[in-house]
Amino acid sequence: MAEALIAVERLVKRYGANTVLDDINLDVTAGQVLVVIGPSGSGKSTLLRCVAALEPIQRGAVRIDGTLAAKGEEEEGSGPSRASLHRLRERVGMVFQQFNLFPHLTVLENITLAPRRVLGMAPGAAEKLAIDLLQRVGLEDKRDVHPERLSGGQQQRAAIARALAMHPQVMLFDEVTSALDPELVGEVLRTMRQLADQGMTMLVVTHEMGFARDVADDVIFMDNGKIVERSPPAQMFEQPKEARTRAFLERLLDREGRRT
Amino acid sequence: MGDFQFARIFGYLPDFIRGVGVTFQLGLISASLGLVLGLVFALMKFSRHPLLYWPSYVYIEFFRTTPPLVQIIWLYYGLPLLTGYDLGAFGSAAVALGLNMGAFYAEIFRAGIVGVHRTQWQAARVLGLNLTDTLRFIVLPQAVRNVLPPMGTTTIYLIKDTALASAIGTPELLRIGQLVAVETFRPVETLTIVAMLYFAVTYPVALLVDRLERRFKVARV
Repeated sequence: MAEALIAVERLVKRYGANTVLDDINLDVTAGQVLVVIGPSGSGKSTLLRCVAALEPIQRGAVRIDGTLAAKGEEEEGSGPSRASLHRLRERVGMVFQQFNLFPHLTVLENITLAPRRVLGMAPGAAEKLAIDLLQRVGLEDKRDVHPERLSGGQQQRAAIARALAMHPQVMLFDEVTSALDPELVGEVLRTMRQLADQGMTMLVVTHEMGFARDVADDVIFMDNGKIVERSPPAQMFEQPKEARTRAFLERLLDREGRRT
Repeated sequence: MGDFQFARIFGYLPDFIRGVGVTFQLGLISASLGLVLGLVFALMKFSRHPLLYWPSYVYIEFFRTTPPLVQIIWLYYGLPLLTGYDLGAFGSAAVALGLNMGAFYAEIFRAGIVGVHRTQWQAARVLGLNLTDTLRFIVLPQAVRNVLPPMGTTTIYLIKDTALASAIGTPELLRIGQLVAVETFRPVETLTIVAMLYFAVTYPVALLVDRLERRFKVARV
């Protein structure tokens, strides 16, 4: 088996006395698309934030392509150096539920800022890269507008382009369609699907079961800060191994059934 | 009633213009000094390091809570006694007012920085931007736009506070007014003109801030 691009080892994350992630082990190999599902409060988003090194962790470790990205505060030895964290940032792209575009910059500036400042790209090259990416996400005509002028779906696609501009090896998606009006969800999922088809390694937290079914190589079900089950989507949705998974999926399908 | 005499006072027009010039320079220098100090001390106050946090805390509280007139007098009379170094009337007033304003600007900057949502910091962080770049390109531009209205008000206060420099004999607008009033025995008319000239200096600042505010309005996304 190939070396894992994302390796989470015995990760424990607590807020005070409250354990949010409890002994998580997770491997994602290059090119894999992993979808994380589970009830709210199960720790899915926190897991993603720990992989992105946005949250300190208490125990265990996170490695990205072999480089230490995070290390438990309660573990012996030192954590990742500033330099290695910096290299990590370049390898991991992240897209948020609330888009988090920079409101005072145009779409183009949102995308070119990090390549210029972090990768040291020349302005012209960064602009060319940004225009290519905007074409890929279908926003080439929006390059000079500010985010407030975009729909939620367009903002999210711009945010994906911004993350891709750093040429990440891994993309993390944190409930990126949850804040969108239903009719705008499709355009963002299509962009993500394209990305998966091009072989991007992705870790996706979502409530979109259709996306999980069609795009994921593996689906992970989390509950109460633990990974309950990891299975290919066909098995996860047809014959989940665990009772808790079944109960969650039944509740979900029940709700979706009633909605139609 | 009915015997306001402005005509004699108009003879002092060149003096008034010089006074306006001194007031304008005092305002400009102390506002610039205050903005730089304000930014530096605001950033220091965010630090968890005690050697950065505490000096900032003491500076801000000290200059916020003592009267600027006293600060000007301390610097003008006290500094030469303590250090042998004399800034002169204009210099003492400019530095004291700059220090005073820095404390107020620092608190405004701080509020502006706090007002930039933490998700903006996170977005910058996952893109690999370092602290300096995050402040320079993401946080401060939004912070300044958020706090333009209180910045404008504070700056107008500062320009009016330059009148306190008259107490140590800086030949600024109010000081000129006092001298003219003594010579003409017409204090009411003279101070009316002085007030109008203050308005002429501060109102453009108010208009400028209004314009900047409209131009740089930050959309919330």
